[in-house]
Amino acid sequence: MKALDEEDLRQIHETSLRLLQEVGIEIEYGPAVKALEDAGMRAKGQRVFFDPSYVEKKVAQAPHDFTLYARDPRHNVHIGGDDVAFVPGYGAPFVIEAGGTRRPSTWEDYLKLLKVAHTCADLDLSGGMLVEPNDLDDRTRYLDALYAHIRYSTKVPMGSSYGVPGARDTVELLAPVFGGEEALKEKPVVITLINTISPLKLDARQTSAMMEYARWKQAMVIASLVMAGSTGPATLAGALALQNAEVLAGITLAQTVNPGTPVVYGSASSITDMHTGSVSVANAESALMNVATAQLARFYGLPSRAGGGLTDSKGVDGQAGYESCLMLMSPVTAGINFILHTAGILQYWLCMSFEKFIMDVEIAGMLRRFKKSIDVNENSLALDVIKHVGPGGHFLTQVHTKQNHKTEMRKPMLSDRQSFEGWAKTRLSTEAQATALWKKTLDAYQDPGLDESQQKQMLSYIESRKKEILK
Amino acid sequence: MILDELKQAVMDGDSDQVKELCQKVLDEHLNPVEAVEQGLIKGIEEIGRLWTEGEMFLPDVMMGADSLKIGLDILGAELSKAKAAAGDTTSKGKIVIGTVKGDIHDIGKNIVSAMMTAAGLDVYDIGFDQGAEVFADKAEAIGADIIGASALLTTTMSEQKELVEYLKSKGLRSKYKVIIGGGPTTQGWADEIGADGWAETANDAVTLCYKLL
Repeated sequence: MKALDEEDLRQIHETSLRLLQEVGIEIEYGPAVKALEDAGMRAKGQRVFFDPSYVEKKVAQAPHDFTLYARDPRHNVHIGGDDVAFVPGYGAPFVIEAGGTRRPSTWEDYLKLLKVAHTCADLDLSGGMLVEPNDLDDRTRYLDALYAHIRYSTKVPMGSSYGVPGARDTVELLAPVFGGEEALKEKPVVITLINTISPLKLDARQTSAMMEYARWKQAMVIASLVMAGSTGPATLAGALALQNAEVLAGITLAQTVNPGTPVVYGSASSITDMHTGSVSVANAESALMNVATAQLARFYGLPSRAGGGLTDSKGVDGQAGYESCLMLMSPVTAGINFILHTAGILQYWLCMSFEKFIMDVEIAGMLRRFKKSIDVNENSLALDVIKHVGPGGHFLTQVHTKQNHKTEMRKPMLSDRQSFEGWAKTRLSTEAQATALWKKTLDAYQDPGLDESQQKQMLSYIESRKKEILK
Repeated sequence: MILDELKQAVMDGDSDQVKELCQKVLDEHLNPVEAVEQGLIKGIEEIGRLWTEGEMFLPDVMMGADSLKIGLDILGAELSKAKAAAGDTTSKGKIVIGTVKGDIHDIGKNIVSAMMTAAGLDVYDIGFDQGAEVFADKAEAIGADIIGASALLTTTMSEQKELVEYLKSKGLRSKYKVIIGGGPTTQGWADEIGADGWAETANDAVTLCYKLL
């Protein structure tokens, strides 16, 4: 699916370059300003004005695609091309329980979600900060969070964007598990979300983390979240030009630090509810920006991130279902490669729900099938079997049916396909079905284990870092 | 009729027009109290009414509040004189508002600020990334009734607690009502840090202020 034609893309690109050159980006991190000045950019205080030809040159140095290496190679993930990676929800400080109670999320929630994410085959990464563990000290919780990913899952985790220490600790913790620091530079084993601050700013915390990860050639999603109407213009073309300028600035900086650093062109752009000023993350306009983001990333030859199982709804209800489907389907059909927030999100990005998590994984599963499209060949055209059955017969007892249906048709895990009578025996809502299913998924979790000595090494590193940070 | 024009200029969020009309009030020695109460304020009240009905949107409210402020700045001195002469020194309430230290997200705070202005409060917005002492100093300087602190990040919420602690340490806590807000905050958090109130939306924040005043 496309939202922009070639001329539209060119105009957005040129507007972004003009913004970078004429307005510049406010970068609140001295070493980043200096690195760009050393590369020939003009700076005035924290404001850096980008030379368009330099931006184009640097963006071209980023890889078109790359592989993230997992502890279990079966979970290696290719980012780019025609592939899509589904990644759990990220960073919500609240959990909404079945029935609608909202409460601060906890470490216990985090561990449960991690195990569910590891178990769900349709999720490609174990995720990052699955929920904020509010009961852990906010200065060191990223250490516990990352350790848990490595200890309890063999899928690729996401790293901490908490400044140079966050990036440095992420690398230090992962290196021993993946054959040492030098080996990491050859193979990215973690991907970190770096956000710009719209409009036209890069903050110190995330920018410093970005530069540190670039030194280690670890992957990053460099994303802008323009809220059209408040942190960006109300017009989608203008919001995209602004988003594009910010993302290009981030990518240019990463490639300045270390050319070839794997980056994903990211967008979490959305709109403002113009009555209250609140963000709205699931709507036709945001879906269009998902599509445009895929096109812009392809324009630059980069992998892309947008979309998610997003909704403004506060419960696992009809609104949550239709909005999440739109916000997952639009990026999938547009060719987005990395879908953060695939599962669990309610009320913008503020809340996580275990039930919603399961519902979104179901949508992701359907879309993975949808993306495979229709295979047309001699076997799938089934001429012989149709001839054999002939007019008025049925296909249920054909070998061709038995041989093909399992690969052709996806079996739902949540959707209720019973007859009315069958359903009426229990009358379970989607939410109630999902409660049963996440509990079942958690029960089915199998500990992949981690070498005892590696566990000890990591835990002792974490202990000494905590002492330093909390002293 | 200049009062209708003032009302309309605020409703249009047309700061230039408000400026021009208020200057005319001064130049022609028209009644400043009437210009404010029957002109500017009527405009912002009408915006508030239409916003509640869903007929007006946030940009109308914020631009209306901005133009109202400009008008009040121009007429301020004459208005105080006239009010003092009439023995009227009432203010609906003064609030110092800002985004806490380490946090540069200020859109939500700006919205709250505009809604409070529209609701008739005297709002002193100190901006974003502000430490506890800046909130306290401003509150002392203007004789505030309420201090409002916003935080959007889970990592900066602790600064709201810091603000309450700072006020306590300076012996100022009982002088002000402290209210908090922002994405990750809750009533529970407000209770925990000993704030006087919490609101989830800009509209709730206005209601909260009037409850506390």
